[in-house]
Amino acid sequence: MSQSPLIRAIQERLRSGGYQDLPTPFRIAGVDFEFTAAMRGKDGRALDLILLIDTTTGDFGDRDAARIRQRVGALSRALDITESRFVITVILAGAPLLGNIDTLTETCRVLYVEGLAIDVAGIPIDERTKNLLEDRIRLLLPLDLPNPVALEGGSGPAVEQLIRSLTPDAVDQELLRALIEASKEGESAVTAAVAKEIGNALSLEDRP
Amino acid sequence: MSNVILKELDVTNFRSIRGHVHVPLDAKVVLIHGENGAGKTSLLSAIEYGLTGNVLALHRADPEYAKHLLYRSASEGKVTIKTDSDGEEKRFDAVFDEKGAHSRSRLDPKEASFFSERVYLPQSLLSQLLQIYQESRSDADSPLAKFVGDLLGLDRLDALEAGLKPLGDVRNLRKVVESWSAVEIEKDRREQFVSDRTEALTSIDQTMHLSLLELKAICDGVGFKDQVTPTTLNVIMSELQSEGDEKQYDEVLDRQRSLGSIRRQIASAEEQSAQPISRTEADAATARTAFAEWESVNGAQIEKLRSKINELLPSLKLSSDLFGLEKEAVELLQREHQQLIGQAEQARRDLRRTVEAQRELDATRQQVIIIDAEISQISADAGVLASALGELSSYIKSDVCPVCERDFGELHNGSLNEHVQRRIIHLSSSAARLLTLGKSRGESQQTVSRLEIELETLSGRKIASETLVAIDRRSALVGSTIAELQRVGPAIAEGAALRANDVAFRRAASDLQARSSVVMDARATVSEFAVLVGAEGIGPEEGFEAAIARLELMLRQQAEQLSNRLTLRRKGLELTESIRSDIKRKTEAEGMLEADTKELKRATKALQNAQALRIQGQTVRDTVDSVRSAIIRRVFNDQLNCVWRDLFVRLAPSEPFVPAFRIPEAETRQLQPKLITVHRDTGEQGGTPGAMLSAGNLNTAALTLFIALHLSVSKVLPWLILDDPVQSMDDVHIAHFAALLRTLSKEHGRQVIIAVHDRQLFEYLRLELSPAFYDDSLVTLELIRGPRSDTHCVPDRPEFREETALLATA
Repeated sequence: MSQSPLIRAIQERLRSGGYQDLPTPFRIAGVDFEFTAAMRGKDGRALDLILLIDTTTGDFGDRDAARIRQRVGALSRALDITESRFVITVILAGAPLLGNIDTLTETCRVLYVEGLAIDVAGIPIDERTKNLLEDRIRLLLPLDLPNPVALEGGSGPAVEQLIRSLTPDAVDQELLRALIEASKEGESAVTAAVAKEIGNALSLEDRP
Repeated sequence: MSNVILKELDVTNFRSIRGHVHVPLDAKVVLIHGENGAGKTSLLSAIEYGLTGNVLALHRADPEYAKHLLYRSASEGKVTIKTDSDGEEKRFDAVFDEKGAHSRSRLDPKEASFFSERVYLPQSLLSQLLQIYQESRSDADSPLAKFVGDLLGLDRLDALEAGLKPLGDVRNLRKVVESWSAVEIEKDRREQFVSDRTEALTSIDQTMHLSLLELKAICDGVGFKDQVTPTTLNVIMSELQSEGDEKQYDEVLDRQRSLGSIRRQIASAEEQSAQPISRTEADAATARTAFAEWESVNGAQIEKLRSKINELLPSLKLSSDLFGLEKEAVELLQREHQQLIGQAEQARRDLRRTVEAQRELDATRQQVIIIDAEISQISADAGVLASALGELSSYIKSDVCPVCERDFGELHNGSLNEHVQRRIIHLSSSAARLLTLGKSRGESQQTVSRLEIELETLSGRKIASETLVAIDRRSALVGSTIAELQRVGPAIAEGAALRANDVAFRRAASDLQARSSVVMDARATVSEFAVLVGAEGIGPEEGFEAAIARLELMLRQQAEQLSNRLTLRRKGLELTESIRSDIKRKTEAEGMLEADTKELKRATKALQNAQALRIQGQTVRDTVDSVRSAIIRRVFNDQLNCVWRDLFVRLAPSEPFVPAFRIPEAETRQLQPKLITVHRDTGEQGGTPGAMLSAGNLNTAALTLFIALHLSVSKVLPWLILDDPVQSMDDVHIAHFAALLRTLSKEHGRQVIIAVHDRQLFEYLRLELSPAFYDDSLVTLELIRGPRSDTHCVPDRPEFREETALLATA
């Protein structure tokens, strides 16, 4: 199969997002369907059926919007007949299409990936291109949340960061300990603590 | 509670729900459908009220909303919610009647607040959400600050920052650290002392230096070659006390007298030799008679005078009469008289000064005692107390004391406020007075030491009163003798002349022969005398008169010189005494200076240490600022903006501008993030979302912001309840939104409850959110209500079914 680098890049990205390749052509309700590539999710995305369509080379007449609409419509009807719950997502990858594709959105979810700088091996040439690619199909990718900075009760990293930011020679460690300790009790405790430390320093009595 | 799910809901006569509905909620996704007015929003707000005892969106619209929660024609209503946390069931109840609502059990406040802020997105809030965040200001209650607070729990940093704030202004610091002003005052006081003492020392040094110079000049004048330094004072003193000069002086005086007598002898010899011999005898008779007559008149008186002078001036050695010596005697007596008067006056001056200085000293000491007493009465903390009272006074609203709550009016002594103000004025002036007192005390102390030294000098010079009386007496005697001598001077002169005449004539005859030999003898005598006193003898050409004048001049010069030396010695001794006392004073002053300097150093050091701590405290505060700003910036940039962007791009993949918060690089307590848009591909900044996005995408921005906020904070309650969020979304967005809901539910474990009114959308979502794997679950609820019938809820629970439609064409 001589796939375009763009299609390969999308497939690669989807595979790493947990999608599996489907062999094409595949058959539903006794009808064969042929697409550039098809993929299926698993677990929570097990009902996602993804169809990749190369609009640059135009396999199976894919450069024409009407032809695409026709085939996707046929697939949709076949799924209805079998009472399938599959949800179709069509990814149009490559050149802009001839004809009106908007009505396709009534049948399925449509994502566009226009021409991006992808090398022959199907690898985006740089990080930015990779991000551009991901943004176009982000909906299909897992949602990665940054580690939440959950700092319950106010202790932990914030105060630790503060301590790390203060070099030992910049601030007396005894003072710092007292302040950090007092900060648990609120602002007036902090004021009292610093006042006590300064008061000790001001004491004119001889200290050992 | 992060695994808890909403299990079921029972609603009776709540808002637009009439009658009782039982609603199962135990599924990963709950999809609610109903026509407008069927009660979808009522159902969701029943969940909120049941769990939190409040409906925030209604509260915003009308604080009295609780009265209207009951279905309008019903008499009582009820909401019951059950939650399930890994098999442990919890129940939340609320009841309603015509008077209002009553929540019997609810979530704890933290969870309740999380529910209202981060779980439930009412329809009305969606359109306002961006507005709310865009207009939020920096105050602590603003939605963003609340978000940051939820997210980070920066309360300890806040406590540090607020608690360290007084360090910034030394006036606030003085209020907080009581001893600060006390040490400052102590430092000022010691500084004043040190400067006073240093000044005193300098003046002592100057005096001493001048005295030493003078003493050196005296030593040079007297001819001592010793070095003049404070350490050689003893040697110098004993040298000044040596009596050599005095003896020499006496000797010179003797010689002057001897020379006088020689001169007289020679003069008489020369005179006689000038008279012709023929007249001698007749003249002798006349002269004898005249002298006898004079002697009978004046003899006794003059004899008395002579013995008196002899007594007074034993060194004069008057032979038998005064003749020829009266001038010398007058001169010597006058000199003595001058000295005596001088001594007596000096003694009297000293005595008066002693009394005066003693009085001054007593007075000044008394002053010091009084100042000390006053200082001891003024509390060193007066200033601090004054400022404390000053702060307190703003709390005085009436005569009731805010501290002890007693009524000051009972005293009938004016108002409390006036009383406190008077007190503050008194205390403030006390603190100022303390400084003034310290300064006066230093000055007085200086005066005391100066007076003590003066008194010591005076007492060293003091003459016993008996001696003074004796001096006075002798002075008087000498004075009267001089007067008498001057009075009888002419008589003596006359007598002397007569006697001389007599003797001359008597001796004339016999002397006549001896004249030339006498003259020769006299010449030899003078010459011998000259050699004796260390001068040249009479030269062959030199006359008697000239030689004697020369010798006289020489002796007078010697006497003058010696007399000067003696004066110098006396002065030198006085100076030595004064230098000694200066040294003593200096030692004392140095001791005190040392003590004060030590105290000053101690106070200065203490203040330095305290200042160092203050600076360190400020450093901590600054660091708190920067740490917090870094955290907030990171949270917004790395977390919230990332999540928001991700969500937004999912729903609107073709929108080139994505919304974001931008944190200006400014101070952090003033958290003022701005809503902006960023070009998705280039990162270029665009305008505000309102200016850059279409209405549909604006709605998407708000919806994704809500979800991003929910996802960014820790998962207190894993629920997302959305009330018809897709009203102005187009089909494309809805398809993407459905995919997002699935992601949230199936990948991030959120129990999603969503209400929609559009039938088609409901069907679409039902398909899209169908159970995708064995344990997956979906509940759909259809709310139906006729115009005059109870609300009905039709639940449906599609089962998971393995998908078999897809077959490879093998």
